[in-house]
Amino acid sequence: MEVTLKVFRFNPDVDKKWRYETYKLEADPTDRVLDLLERVKGYTDGSLAFRRSCAHGVCGSDALRINGKNSLACKALVRDYGEKITVEPIMGLKVIKDLIVDMKPFFDNYKKILPFFINDSPLPADGKERRQSIEQRERFDDTTKCILCACCTTSCPSFWASDDYLGPAAMVTAHRFIFDSRDESASERLHILSETSGIARCHTVFNCTMACPREIQITKAIGELKLAMVTGNLE
Amino acid sequence: MKRTLPISKRGLNFETIMWFFTRLSALAMYGFIIIGMIGALVMGARMNMNFADVMRWAFMSNSTHVQSTNIPDIAPWANAFWRLVASGFLLVASAHGVHGLVVIADDYLVKPLQRNVVRLLSIVMLVSIGLIGLYVIWTA
Ligand code: FES
Repeated sequence: MEVTLKVFRFNPDVDKKWRYETYKLEADPTDRVLDLLERVKGYTDGSLAFRRSCAHGVCGSDALRINGKNSLACKALVRDYGEKITVEPIMGLKVIKDLIVDMKPFFDNYKKILPFFINDSPLPADGKERRQSIEQRERFDDTTKCILCACCTTSCPSFWASDDYLGPAAMVTAHRFIFDSRDESASERLHILSETSGIARCHTVFNCTMACPREIQITKAIGELKLAMVTGNLE
Repeated sequence: MKRTLPISKRGLNFETIMWFFTRLSALAMYGFIIIGMIGALVMGARMNMNFADVMRWAFMSNSTHVQSTNIPDIAPWANAFWRLVASGFLLVASAHGVHGLVVIADDYLVKPLQRNVVRLLSIVMLVSIGLIGLYVIWTA
């Protein structure tokens, strides 16, 4: 099939304003949007800039807005988008060049939530691992799947409004640690979530859940955090 | 061992309290509306009021809201109970609504000064809506 690929372009060295460039490509329905971008970059216009690394939906570096919806280009099949495909950078972050955005505000928010395991108690008597039941592990299994691609955070209107907002990705990480029976910093994390730029900015829009390429139930996870704040129950 | 955090350990600040208040006040408003509708039915709404009048009374049980209906005598309905219901609804709804506006403003305004200006304006707005509303309810 012939695909018309419309790509957002902006080169800060030359362009005063962003523009769209259109490319016509022959593609298989099972090709991925990333394949099309690679083809443009390899054969038509080497100056096209975009991020990608694993090409298998694991590294989270090629989050893009494809036909208006945030997805990973490496997981987006041409057949799901049709003959006209528009590719734009994810929203709410400054464009550096073409499809590349400045991820700093995203990672700054991620860092705020202390995205690491905290447990200062001495190890169990046998000096080995801190044990956890299958149910306890299951409790936060969904939120361990996050690959930090930013599809969720950059689909959230509250984040578009302000970079200060923690955003769904940071809250998914908060969920992952707060509900981990081995972690001891739930209190600290809940304090961070309760700040004005924290969980109160979530208006349950569900964009994050729809955008997540890992199908994490993000809005549900945020709802569980809200409940934990009100009830104190971390089970 | 059950993992629970006491209130002091979960960051119970203004933001969290208001998040809770918003939910509870929404429920309270449903309560007020149901009380108002029951009142309207007892008043004889089935025969003597149209739907708009029922709603007007349910949302604000002020006797002037039903004076153009066919209810023969509305004087007994201007009693302290219904004025209290109207006052309760007014205060809960305005606090709920004004805080809603603050929440939306907080999405966009991140500088402390901007936020404080919005908070100050909202408090002024809330107090004036409350005072004017109470004046109307208790003098009607
Ligand atoms: S390139 Fe790694 S997730 Fe798409």
